[in-house]
Amino acid sequence: MIRFDDVSKRYPGGHEALKQVSFDMNRGEMVFLTGRSGAGKSTLLKLLMLSEPLNQGQILVGGRNIHRLPANKIPYYRRRIGVVFQDHQLLFDRSVYDNVALPLQIDGYDKHEAARRVRAALDKVGLLSKEKLNPMTLSGGEQQRIGIARAVVNRPQILLADEPTGNLDPQLAAEIMALFEQFNQIGVSMLIASHDLSLITRLRHRILTLDHGQLIRDEHHPSRSGATAG
Amino acid sequence: MNRPANTKGARRERDRRIRINAWASNHRDCALDTIRRMLAQPVATLMTLAVIGIALLLPALLYVAGSNLGQFTDRLEATNRLTVYLAPDISEQSISEIREALDNSELVGSLRFISSKQAAEDFARWSGLGDVLDSLAENPLPAAFVVQPTSADDGTLVSLQELLNGLSGVDQIQVDQRWLERLAGISRLIDRTVMTLVIILAFAVLFITGNSIRTLIANRQAEIRVMDLMGATRSYMARPFLYMGLWYGLFGGMAAWLLLQCMLLLLREPASTLLASYGPQYQLIGLGGIGAAALLLGSAGLGWLGAKLSVSRHLRALTRS
Repeated sequence: MIRFDDVSKRYPGGHEALKQVSFDMNRGEMVFLTGRSGAGKSTLLKLLMLSEPLNQGQILVGGRNIHRLPANKIPYYRRRIGVVFQDHQLLFDRSVYDNVALPLQIDGYDKHEAARRVRAALDKVGLLSKEKLNPMTLSGGEQQRIGIARAVVNRPQILLADEPTGNLDPQLAAEIMALFEQFNQIGVSMLIASHDLSLITRLRHRILTLDHGQLIRDEHHPSRSGATAG
Repeated sequence: MNRPANTKGARRERDRRIRINAWASNHRDCALDTIRRMLAQPVATLMTLAVIGIALLLPALLYVAGSNLGQFTDRLEATNRLTVYLAPDISEQSISEIREALDNSELVGSLRFISSKQAAEDFARWSGLGDVLDSLAENPLPAAFVVQPTSADDGTLVSLQELLNGLSGVDQIQVDQRWLERLAGISRLIDRTVMTLVIILAFAVLFITGNSIRTLIANRQAEIRVMDLMGATRSYMARPFLYMGLWYGLFGGMAAWLLLQCMLLLLREPASTLLASYGPQYQLIGLGGIGAAALLLGSAGLGWLGAKLSVSRHLRALTRS
């Protein structure tokens, strides 16, 4: 599903964020990406979202070299990928419902079909009753769940999450992770960056560890199905 | 028959229809949402519209002035008639000599003779002062030739005047509508000024809308960044701003039209009086339907273009490099 092939990323100014990173991730796999702050986790996700250019190597998603996509194809690639941000990136000028509906609007969904999907996604994250509220009035955990609903509403094949539990207390963090596992069980490939080692080791999924831009560890947990490839 | 292909084709057709519907409803939503946003910030909106309106008012006003002057110049375009007044005591003999000389000149296109009797009748008819003439012992109006030169240029006129000065019995030569020629010059000057102003102020409108759009984009940076990551196309992200530019232009044009109507209302009375003094056929002309349509279309187009230029620059800066 996702293949990193000798990928290096150097930011203007010389900082080398990723050094020759290679790994494979299967369809339907759930993978954690960990490492200290500045190890390159966010950069790796940004390369996957095509919000940063890479300097070397290639990234294949579904067999296609995504950094070779023509500019007019990039939006359609991005629609197949759901993204959850640490700071959730919600828009406070509109309701919870409209926030979650945004990817469907962008993708040109019929309004009735969109309404059905938005409600299903909100129901999944347990916020159906709050669809009319402004996300600003909700708690941090609820805001993050709206962000997740928005990321999955378009039924993406891949879900990327950058420190999705970074601002949450351990119990809320565990709830969010449980939610991710549910999406994974219906076949969504997940790549989740998190520095919360105690949480992610408990979950027993594959863990990629970055250190100073290098992939230093790739631990599989064979007890889980779908985590055997590499 | 090939059923699977047919159902597949039908599904594709349905998907296509859904997409077109969604695209159309997105346009409608953008159009309405931008108006809602304009109304939500009435002061800022009004100020922008006023600036655009004033910028467009100036050329519109000059255009109206030009078309009012044009009433005089259009009607008598390229006619530089000469009226040759003959001496009051001229003999029939001299008249036919002059007629012959003019008939034989290649400078003369057409020739019309007005006898002093006919001149008196015409005067009585136009002025309504026939009684005054009747009360005079003698008809004071001279006979005249109205000469239409073959060409309206100054050289022809000068040669004709020289020819006429050499003929005996010619009392006075009057180049008709000389003042109209000057008026035509002024009118051309105004036309040229309008054109220049239209170009300059078109740029002004582009800058005004461009700058307003830039501010709007800056206010919606977060939204644009999020939409970009969710796979919004450039044209999708640009659409609300293009509508905003279109509305700015259109409503700005309407503001200009309203201002112009107000000014015409104020000017109507004195201008009509002035124009009527030249004859009943002269009236104060407004912008007219076509002029108004051109103003609105032009301003809407400029607003859209200003937004377009601004959007493509700023969206590129905000989204992926």
